[in-house]
Amino acid sequence: MSTTATELDHPDEGDLKRSITGRLLFFYVLGDVLGSGVYVLIGLVAGAVGGAFWLAFAVGVSIATITGLAYAELVTKYPQAAGAALYVNKAFRNTFLTFLVTICMLSASFAAAGSLATGFSSYFAEVWALPPVLLVAIVFVLALAVVNFIGITESVVVNMLMTFVEIAGLAIIMVIGVIHVGRGDADFGVLTDFSSEGNPIFAIVAGVALAFFAMTGFENAANVAEETVRPAKTFPRALVGGMAAAGAIYVIVAMTAALTVPLDQLAESPAALLEVVKEGILPFPVGFMTVLFAVIAMVAITNTTLVAVVTESRILYGMAREDVVPGVFAKIHRARRSPWVALIFAAIVVITLLVVGKLLSNAGIGIDVVARLATVTVVFTLFIYGLVIVSALKLRGSDEGPDTFRANTALLYVGLLGNAILLVYVIVDDPTSLWWCAGLLGLGLALYAAERLFGHRDRPAGVERGEPTPASDDTVEDTQHEGEGS
Amino acid sequence: MTGMHVIVTTDGSQQSLQAARKFKSFADPSKVSDISVIAVVRPLAAVGFSDDLAPSKASAFESLDFRKAAESAVAAVAGEFDDWGPKVHKKIRSGSPANEIIKAASQIGAGLIVVASGSRGLSDTVLMGSTAQRIQNYAPCPVLVVRPTKRKLRKKA
Repeated sequence: MSTTATELDHPDEGDLKRSITGRLLFFYVLGDVLGSGVYVLIGLVAGAVGGAFWLAFAVGVSIATITGLAYAELVTKYPQAAGAALYVNKAFRNTFLTFLVTICMLSASFAAAGSLATGFSSYFAEVWALPPVLLVAIVFVLALAVVNFIGITESVVVNMLMTFVEIAGLAIIMVIGVIHVGRGDADFGVLTDFSSEGNPIFAIVAGVALAFFAMTGFENAANVAEETVRPAKTFPRALVGGMAAAGAIYVIVAMTAALTVPLDQLAESPAALLEVVKEGILPFPVGFMTVLFAVIAMVAITNTTLVAVVTESRILYGMAREDVVPGVFAKIHRARRSPWVALIFAAIVVITLLVVGKLLSNAGIGIDVVARLATVTVVFTLFIYGLVIVSALKLRGSDEGPDTFRANTALLYVGLLGNAILLVYVIVDDPTSLWWCAGLLGLGLALYAAERLFGHRDRPAGVERGEPTPASDDTVEDTQHEGEGS
Repeated sequence: MTGMHVIVTTDGSQQSLQAARKFKSFADPSKVSDISVIAVVRPLAAVGFSDDLAPSKASAFESLDFRKAAESAVAAVAGEFDDWGPKVHKKIRSGSPANEIIKAASQIGAGLIVVASGSRGLSDTVLMGSTAQRIQNYAPCPVLVVRPTKRKLRKKA
């Protein structure tokens, strides 16, 4: 009989196998980014800029991709799931700032999920107009919570399939564009048209601020950083590659939309890309194409919203484990191993956002829930992105290995400036979005206060905040721990 | 082959620790040559791995270090087999738990998989089957499923 030995086997044997390859990560980023915008708010961007709104997408994509470089650099140094909060913590060592960034990340995911759910229901209405839009959005949010609880979408195969469907949808648009141009029907003058009054620069900035929502989501790639194969090599390539691919698709799709559909029609449609399909340029029945395209759009939005829901519940779980918010959010379902309390809570918050939006518009304060929540997301993410770039610069020289990816410093400053300009613009342009931001931040503070006031109840006597608590089940105490490590 | 290579799985739950103990309570260590304690991290899940066995709260952000959580759960379960006889290996994989455990069983030519079944309720039967069920259905070897209720042990061959 062999002697007792407890050892961590050599990684080469596949015992510490990581499952996210560069290609999977590329599609994860692409799928996550694509779903978050172009389907939902292309009409709004068109309305803000005019026919040249593809430029807004191009600029937004560039700023976001530069920010992506900062993320790539930091991920190669700290390949962990916590993302921005971890980087800011490493760079500033300031508990309050770390807490603020964490709450901002949480709030951004809430707002994004709300905006996306509303976008989903707009496309749903194209297929079946009977149910009220708000009801569809709420059912959608609840369904995603259940799906996350069960864990269906953990499959990388499902994830890839959804991304392919998304690309297929945008490929349809691009084919329409090619046919349209090929027939000589295109009036390229529209691509340089700024219909809004005043300075074209301002029109572009306004468009970028809106278009920026379409680029958010890439930061969630940090979710899988830890499980990425050779992150130093694959992560920067997959992240930046995925964003660049998404950006190229956006610009081409935006040009196609501008060339094929009259601008005012685009601007007024809640499901603007459908207008392109409805022009009937492809030799298929318009009715069929409309339904097909609406379904594709719903798949795309679902993919991105799922990632937002994962991020929300993860942040809540992490903060609860660290005693920042009440411990109940760390509750894991026994069989499913899912943070069910966090999932339910996240769904309730998003539904509340949707209902408040609906009540406000019923009360005569005409607001577009998609646009408002998109703006709120953008305010939070711009703030986070800016801090991440600063953190990347501040952490230069520390924790660097031979494999560390190093982003171009000058580019990072350009990105920082870009994020700052957009943030200022968004706030000046739409100060009321700050109320929504304040509401979401207030929620985070309330959870923090609840933990401060009542948190001692879920800790055994004598255990301080943040200290490891003995496992709840006393059967663990007789477990032998001697053989740990290698 | 001198003896059987047994896979003991853990998802970080107390139940998985009970399953390991149940196996140890009746198995003959002289017939077992190797034990591989395996945990699977789920990269796309809301919580990739949660360790209830030796929860660590040492410093900020460790709670989202799912690999570390998996390592600590594996260590806790592996600790059960200290001084028992067979050589103990610790393995962490990532992906879909049932798939990865079945793959590992094929790769190492396992003779038995020990797995805990989390619940008896709705979620086990209605919600597309649990990890334990999928392992039972597709495993290349016998599976010991340890159910939550004591004295309700079931062995599948």
